[in-house]
Amino acid sequence: MADTTIDKILEVKDLDVSYQKLRILFQVSLDVDAGEVAVVVGRNGAGKTTLFRTIAGFLNQEAGTIHFNGNDIGRLRAFEVAQLGLKYIQQDKHVFSDLTVRENLELGSYATKDYDWDRVLEYFPQLKNIIDRKGGHLSGGERQMLLIAMSLLGNPGLVLMDEPTEGLAPHVITDLSHAFKKISEKTTLVIIEQNLPLTAEVADRVYAMKEGKIVAEFKDQQAIENLEFEAYL
Amino acid sequence: MNRILKVSYGPALLVFLILMARFTFPNKMTFIIELAIFSIYVMGNNILYGYLGMVSFGQPFYLGVGAYATAIFLAHVGTNPLVGMLLSLLMGLVVGLILGPAFIRLRGDYFALINAATCAIGMFTIEKLLLPITRGDDGLWYRARMSQIPFVDIRMPDKFFLFALAIFLIVLILYNFMDKSALGSSFRAIRVNESKMKFLGYDTFKIRWIGFTLASILSALSGSLYAINFGFVNPSLAEPHRAAEVLVATLIGGAGTVFGPFFGTLAFLGIKDLVSQYIAHWELAVGILTLLVLFRFSKGIWGNTEAIMNEKFGKKRNRSVKKLLTDKAAT
Repeated sequence: MADTTIDKILEVKDLDVSYQKLRILFQVSLDVDAGEVAVVVGRNGAGKTTLFRTIAGFLNQEAGTIHFNGNDIGRLRAFEVAQLGLKYIQQDKHVFSDLTVRENLELGSYATKDYDWDRVLEYFPQLKNIIDRKGGHLSGGERQMLLIAMSLLGNPGLVLMDEPTEGLAPHVITDLSHAFKKISEKTTLVIIEQNLPLTAEVADRVYAMKEGKIVAEFKDQQAIENLEFEAYL
Repeated sequence: MNRILKVSYGPALLVFLILMARFTFPNKMTFIIELAIFSIYVMGNNILYGYLGMVSFGQPFYLGVGAYATAIFLAHVGTNPLVGMLLSLLMGLVVGLILGPAFIRLRGDYFALINAATCAIGMFTIEKLLLPITRGDDGLWYRARMSQIPFVDIRMPDKFFLFALAIFLIVLILYNFMDKSALGSSFRAIRVNESKMKFLGYDTFKIRWIGFTLASILSALSGSLYAINFGFVNPSLAEPHRAAEVLVATLIGGAGTVFGPFFGTLAFLGIKDLVSQYIAHWELAVGILTLLVLFRFSKGIWGNTEAIMNEKFGKKRNRSVKKLLTDKAAT
């Protein structure tokens, strides 16, 4: 899905978003290059989730543009954005609880016509052992892995992940960070993350958000590893 | 081929048992015919309520559309009941396709009430606006006009029994196929988390529209079978206050299951048939059963039966899960 001839896979320019009369995002601009892991950090209420929901087509912007792979997706609906290869994993970690892991994956496959489960389960082999377990009986980490596996069906160009490690045990976070690195070899990732050491480990680029604005951008690996973005939180 | 056998096995077994019941209780043929027809009606509502989580208080309208399409055809136009039935299916499709986009935009209470309002308007249309065609409360009589169809004379009750059962079997097999298909999974997934479906790339509006239209078609088919069975139709079939019947049968049987509509109908009509012999207010027994289901057995008759069967016979399927848990415990 990813068009590797285009350097910038995601371009957001001067984005304004409001909930009714309450302005949430102010002139937000960000770029993500194909193949990189970009992390958005910021305190609660900074507008990170609103930004992701707008990019994913769930909220309408008042002003500004969103381009994915060169296509203007600003006015597309959520399912149309997903069909173009931009997937969004919400923060809630909700899978389809009445369905088994297998049936959840089938839902991902029906939508994308991609039945190559071996490719996506390569990142999370533990899901193979619980393939017939109901979604409602999975741990938080297993649910997150399943959500990522589902989103990777159809070879999306970009996956937005909203706080994927929130509330997870340290060893699960370690597993996920390894998976992120592997996934990013084929798919661009944009992640909202509060876990700063993890951010430093996986990020190629960091955006810091505060009060609905992007207040800083870090591309220098040394600066990221030194957690310099922490000053903006 | 294997898949066809897989989805046909259960329905075929059920229809075989119904046939056995027919010969064991010969005086219950009328009851069994109504059981087959009402089950199809409940299946339609089950798609809306059980699979998609949309409660409609207006299903008698869609039943009435089917019944009157067949009845008007047989009373005024032609004599072949099969053509009348095809006309009803077409009307169910058209009504679903036209009303669907407007109705399914509404959620919860609003969806339930717009259907109730449509049902009331439908009643008024049948009773007053189309009086010259429908003959209002007097109803339409056309049994004598119905012609014989090839192979089976469905004007005869015992032949109509076989015809209705064959239709029921076909519908149940297709319903089972739908349940096991991507469409069935999509319906259930939308009920649980519609946003997630959108993020996966599903056009959930279209999927709900398909569900609404299928429900409309099944209700219309059921209405058509009623019309052929009775040889008479009047507006009481589509009265808005009868909307609760189909909802209660769906709930009692097990919402969102393939065989729930049949068992819900069996319980509903069974109570009506049995209790009404002793007390006039048979609805009291249905009410008590509904409360019992709501408070104690929320999965309904078939839903709970499935759960028990899975617990007893699902061990092999969950072996990998148990092995994992054992391994975890060991480490």
